[in-house]
Amino acid sequence: MDPRQIEELLPFYALDAVTDEERELVESYLAEHPEARAQIEEMSGAAFSLPYSAPPVEPSRRAKEALMARVAADERARASKHASRQPSRRVMRLENIFQAFSLGAAVVAIIWAVLLNIQLSRLQNEVSLLGEALVAQSNSLEQINAKLPQVTDSTVVTISLRGTTARPDAHGQLIADPNSHSAVLVIAGLGQLEAGKTYQVWLIDGGGPKSAGILTVDANGQGLLILSSELTIAEFNALGISIEPDGGSDQPTGDIVVLSDL
Amino acid sequence: MAQDKNATGVSIRIKNESSALRVTSEQVSDEVLASQVARGNGAALETLYDRHASTVLAVSLKVIGDQAAAEDVLQETFWRAWRSASTYQPQRGSFTGWLFRIARNLAIDAYRRRNVRPPQMAVMDDADSILDQVADPDMDVAEQAQSLFKNRQVRDALASLPRAQRQVIEMAYFYGMTRQEIAEATGEALGTIHTRARLGLQKLREELKRVEFEG
Repeated sequence: MDPRQIEELLPFYALDAVTDEERELVESYLAEHPEARAQIEEMSGAAFSLPYSAPPVEPSRRAKEALMARVAADERARASKHASRQPSRRVMRLENIFQAFSLGAAVVAIIWAVLLNIQLSRLQNEVSLLGEALVAQSNSLEQINAKLPQVTDSTVVTISLRGTTARPDAHGQLIADPNSHSAVLVIAGLGQLEAGKTYQVWLIDGGGPKSAGILTVDANGQGLLILSSELTIAEFNALGISIEPDGGSDQPTGDIVVLSDL
Repeated sequence: MAQDKNATGVSIRIKNESSALRVTSEQVSDEVLASQVARGNGAALETLYDRHASTVLAVSLKVIGDQAAAEDVLQETFWRAWRSASTYQPQRGSFTGWLFRIARNLAIDAYRRRNVRPPQMAVMDDADSILDQVADPDMDVAEQAQSLFKNRQVRDALASLPRAQRQVIEMAYFYGMTRQEIAEATGEALGTIHTRARLGLQKLREELKRVEFEG
């Protein structure tokens, strides 16, 4: 097969839709042609995204329970195999230790115990601090879960959001049931701001913009905000994001970076 | 972080939980979890399941078209991940690439065994509710939002392709059809199928780059 014919196979190789014979041909070709490897990497990047094109589907609880029961049984079987091998080794090792050391081992053990005690005390303090952080985290997640049923109704819509000329790369979505009082805002393409500045989200109706909260973005310019309002989302006409001084403003004062109709 | 702003008498309660969500979703990477699974850690597998089961099931369902059979593929995919995690090599690609490939191949095998449903070359329909199915209470909220976001990005990118190019890509990827089989099924010349596949993947890649898709 000439090189041109093999190059025609590359997209299908990236899509994992070649015969075994074609796969071998392509792989031999790739081994000798670095420029073709670069092409395959680019095409494979696009192909790897395809699983996400299918709308996510919630599996039944039964599927997870069956899988985890199978895994747990396998874990138990592995543990029991391991345990059955343990005693003879341990006994042999203990015998050797008793034969090799007596008094010296006891001294080392005492020193070791003291060091362990100090270490244990330090670890207990760290566990206590982590426990407090975990409680705070759980509280946050409970608040989110309390809102979740409102955004999983089948009437939920997704509204695309676009950046203005001030931030043309900004884009995101507002996920909401128009008749509910809450929504999830997911945004990307927002740059990190200089110190003292923050992004502020606005819901806009006939009466003007109303603050919908301060939006924090990560190092990649992505952020997520869950908001709720006494008005339903359908009563608002637009959503905007502006750059404001830290702590936010009562009305937009800085550059508008996102503005989209709802 | 909570913020109350009430400029016009309307009380709006805000909760900005992005940092809390990131902590839960980004604490441990898939690749680290996969190495824990390889050492026999069932809890690590459960975390990976909660993260990716909805996408694995979506791929299986798209290929097979039957929920019960797709759930069998879902279970078998994660069982193979459990038994074969030690064969996964992070330097050769992402964990999700490895996992989704297992799922897709199992689904195609199941579809071929059943052979009861012809491939459906569905055109992306924006009216589809992508949120109908996401309410798994065990899933991390941030993961749900990210799955939805990725789904929308890829769907939009695919929808921007000419239908003929999209059709070739879907036939090849979701049904494992070779170029000859696609040419036969569509009645087009083999050269046309080659061109459509190449141009389609190029355009898809450009679109995904434009929207900063992170797989």
